[in-house]
Amino acid sequence: MTKPVIEVEKLAKSFGENQVLKEITEQVNPGQVIVVIGPSGGGKSTFLRCLNLLETPTSGKVAFEGHDLTTMDTKGVNSLREKMGMVFQGFNLFPNMTVLENIKLAPMKVKGTDDASATKRAHELLERVGLDDHADAFPDSLSGGQAQRVAIARALAMDPEVMLFDEPTSALDPEMVGEVLNVMQELAKEGMTMVVVTHEMGFAKSVADRIWFMADGYIQENNTPDEFFAHPETERAKDFLSKILM
Amino acid sequence: MKKRFGLLLALIAALVMLVVPVGNTTHAQAADNSLEKIQKKGVLVMGTSPDYPPYEFQATVNGKSTVVGMDVQIGKKVAKDLGVKLKIKSMSFDSLLVALQTGKIDMIISGMNPTPARRKNVAFTHTYYQGGYDIVINKTDKAKYKNKDSFSGGTLGAQTGTTQYNASKSQTKNTTVKGMTSQSDLILALQSHKLDGVAMEKPSAEAYVSNNKQLAAIPSDFNMSSSATSSAIAFRKGSTSLVNKVNKTVDQIKKENLVKKDYLPAAGKYLKTNTVNTSMTHYWKAFLTGIEYTLIITVCSVFFGFIIGILLALARMAKGNFFKNLLRWIATAYVEFIRGTPMMVQVMFVYFGLGLFVNLPALTSGIIAISLNSGAYVAEYIRGGINSVNIGQTEAARSLGMSNGETMRYVVLPQALKNIWPSLGNEFITLIKDSSIVSIIGVTELIYQSNIVRSDTYRGVAPIVVIMVLYFILTFTASRILNYFERKMQHD
Ligand SMILES: Nc1ncnc2c1ncn2[C@@H]1O[C@H](COP(=O)(O)OP(=O)(O)O)[C@@H](O)[C@H]1O
Ligand SMILES: [Mg+2]
Repeated sequence: MTKPVIEVEKLAKSFGENQVLKEITEQVNPGQVIVVIGPSGGGKSTFLRCLNLLETPTSGKVAFEGHDLTTMDTKGVNSLREKMGMVFQGFNLFPNMTVLENIKLAPMKVKGTDDASATKRAHELLERVGLDDHADAFPDSLSGGQAQRVAIARALAMDPEVMLFDEPTSALDPEMVGEVLNVMQELAKEGMTMVVVTHEMGFAKSVADRIWFMADGYIQENNTPDEFFAHPETERAKDFLSKILM
Repeated sequence: MKKRFGLLLALIAALVMLVVPVGNTTHAQAADNSLEKIQKKGVLVMGTSPDYPPYEFQATVNGKSTVVGMDVQIGKKVAKDLGVKLKIKSMSFDSLLVALQTGKIDMIISGMNPTPARRKNVAFTHTYYQGGYDIVINKTDKAKYKNKDSFSGGTLGAQTGTTQYNASKSQTKNTTVKGMTSQSDLILALQSHKLDGVAMEKPSAEAYVSNNKQLAAIPSDFNMSSSATSSAIAFRKGSTSLVNKVNKTVDQIKKENLVKKDYLPAAGKYLKTNTVNTSMTHYWKAFLTGIEYTLIITVCSVFFGFIIGILLALARMAKGNFFKNLLRWIATAYVEFIRGTPMMVQVMFVYFGLGLFVNLPALTSGIIAISLNSGAYVAEYIRGGINSVNIGQTEAARSLGMSNGETMRYVVLPQALKNIWPSLGNEFITLIKDSSIVSIIGVTELIYQSNIVRSDTYRGVAPIVVIMVLYFILTFTASRILNYFERKMQHD
């Protein structure tokens, strides 16, 4: 069997008294698409942010390709973060740079890529998300769907091995959700390893390899989409699905 | 006679001496080689406050603003007799004693009278001039006033902290005494009838009267000890060999009556040429120099203050291990301290205090002090600016593998600076105005130049109006330029 890309062992996280994650142990294999679903406030974002150490776990282990991130120095963490692209609900594009500059910044400053190759690669990525004609636009002038596609291109520019998505379509007008999901689906097809937090059940059903159902600080169910949606095991999941599928 | 020794400066001097026990105390105890040292150096630095005609004042000689007056003649003679070159350093009278004690200057010749209090801190030569006091009045009042006793029910003015100020207070009855820091201000107040008379030294009074047809002088009849009306040269305490040598020169000056015979008339000549052309345009060079220095100070201080501000802001946000916490604590304490003390004190502390370790010119000291001061304020703006940048920006940058430093530099700071650009612009404009504080250590910026022009021309208001307009032009232009860049940044 192939070795997992991400291994999480007894991962726990508290904010003061509030224990948000309660000893989670799971793993992500290369090429897998994991869709994390669950009620809001259940700790999905916190979990995702612990994977690339934007949030420091209170205890437990997060390993990327066998290297434990929690015991690593800052430099090591920085270099492993390159390999985990992240896409946020609020896009977080750099407003003071053009679309092209947004994409080129990290490759040039972190990897030391020269300007010409960074520009070339940025155009390729923009082409791929269908926005090459917006290369010189500033983020303010983009629609939400366009901004999120640029954010995906920006993350891809570092050639990550895993992509983390935290509700990438939740801030979008309904008519723009499709264009972003399409890009994500393409990525999945190309074999990208992905962990996606979303409420888009259609996407979950058609793209996910595994569904992780998360509530109350741990992963309550880990199943294939067919199994999970047809036969949810826990009361928590049944309750959640009944509300969401209404 | 000038007797002022600001409390503030006394405190700073005390502080400086406390911090550096090797000040003048060891000078006093060490074997006295003061004479030898000066002769070896080949230069004698004379400190003086050139706002006190005819003792010392600024005049335009061959198109250049120069310190002249009878004290300068005496300084030249002293230097010549010692076989060394004379160098003159101008500063406010208040600063002279500290400057002598901290080694910025070698001697003071500035109409200074050898009072017992001063003798505790410095060594005086024999007196070289015995003066007295007059009261300057408006000529139209000549019939009304005879001497100090005629001002019952009226108002007398004198330079604050001077001997004549104290005498006016203690030796008159029923008279209000008003103190001001500058003689030209007093004359102005007299002419606008806010004062009925101004007590000042005879030579000064004569100079004013001879240059202003509306004024007249009457004897004061103050009852004075001779030490309060005489002038002497001050050296560092313990410079016995030097003082003894210079005493020979002083004795000769007195014996040959050189002050009355040569020096005063020579000084008077400059005063006369001065009154010929007192139009402000005649002094455009002085004002231009003022603008130049004001701009140099402002631009340098903004530049360094900005760098200091960024470093301080980052230090204030450091968190984590012991070292970082210590750094944050120091930066916070620094900002609080700077914001809690007057800039004027900081300027004097840098000039006189740091001056003990390295000999910094006044201009450099001024720039250092103002940069350090401005840095504290800029740090707070920058900190606010950094906090105003959405945390999502940092997270996005970190998730791309950028380090903390790279994130700051390429993502957060550019946005923070854009947000606080108006505040930074304000700081720049404030500095154009606040840089005037360095005039107290003798940097020839606008305020300093205007004071020179005022004592030079005996015109009180015109130079003030000129620099007001000049300051406004500077700040207005600056704010236009800043607005332009602000608009440009918004377009980006
Ligand atoms: N930075 C934080 N400080 C304190 N509490 C937080 C922080 N981030 C999240 N939480 C809390 O953790 C819990 C889980 O939040 P989150 O991970 O955002 O859930 P989800 O993404 O599933 O909606 C919530 O109760 C939230 O209030
Ligand atoms: Mg969330």
